[in-house]
Amino acid sequence: MAENRGGPNGGPQYNPANISAAGGAGQSGKQPSRYISGMPYGQGQQLMQQQKSAPMSAPKMGAVSRGEYSEPMSKLRTLLDDTTNPLEPQSTGINFGRGADSSIMPQNLVSDSRPLENQEIVKKYLPAFANAAKSPNAPDSFKGFVNYLVGKINA
Amino acid sequence: MLEWQPGSLYDNIDKFASSLGYENAGVAITLGMIPWESIDDRDAFIETITGDTPKGGNFTNYNSQY
Repeated sequence: MAENRGGPNGGPQYNPANISAAGGAGQSGKQPSRYISGMPYGQGQQLMQQQKSAPMSAPKMGAVSRGEYSEPMSKLRTLLDDTTNPLEPQSTGINFGRGADSSIMPQNLVSDSRPLENQEIVKKYLPAFANAAKSPNAPDSFKGFVNYLVGKINA
Repeated sequence: MLEWQPGSLYDNIDKFASSLGYENAGVAITLGMIPWESIDDRDAFIETITGDTPKGGNFTNYNSQY
C-alpha cells in the first residue's frame, strides 16, 4: 500500500506568476507589519509589535470601479445634439425663451457683460450690416436691427 | 448690390436678432454666423430656445422689391 505523503497539488501557490500587487498582504486582507528602521533604540521593535497587535486592513486593490478614476473622453457635443437633460429647457438661465430666467443663476455668473461684448461685436460688423441693410430686398426687420445698433453705438 | 438670400449670413442674423431681441445683438450675431446645415435646422434651433416660431424677414420680404 502506497503511503500518501502529500506533495504539490497544483494550487496557486505553485504558480511563479502569482504575485500579489499588495506585496505580502495579498491573501490575508491585512497590511503586513513592516519594521521601520532609523528610529531610536527600542522604538522600532515597539512599533513592530503595535502593528502586529492591530493590523490595518489591506487596500482594496482591483475593487475600484472604473468610473471612480477616469472615463474615456466622450464625443464632444454640439448645439444641434439632443439635450442630455430633456426636462430642462435649453434657454434656462437666460432672459429669453422658456425656462427660468437668469435669477436662478449663481450670483457670480449673473454679471451682465453683454453691453461690452455687444459693443465690440457691433463695432466690428456694423459697416457690413449697414451695407447689407441697403440691399433693396433686405427685410424691414434687418433694417430695424441695424438702426438699433447704430443708435446704440451713437448713444 | 447684395442680394438677400434665405439662409445667408445676414438672413441668419436677421432671424436671430428678431427672435432673441435686438438687445441680445452679440448672441444673435454669433449664432447667425454658425454655418447652419439648413434653414430648417436653424429655425428648429430658434424654436427650441425661444419656444416660438422664428421672427424676422420672410419669403415675402425677399421678393418685395422684385
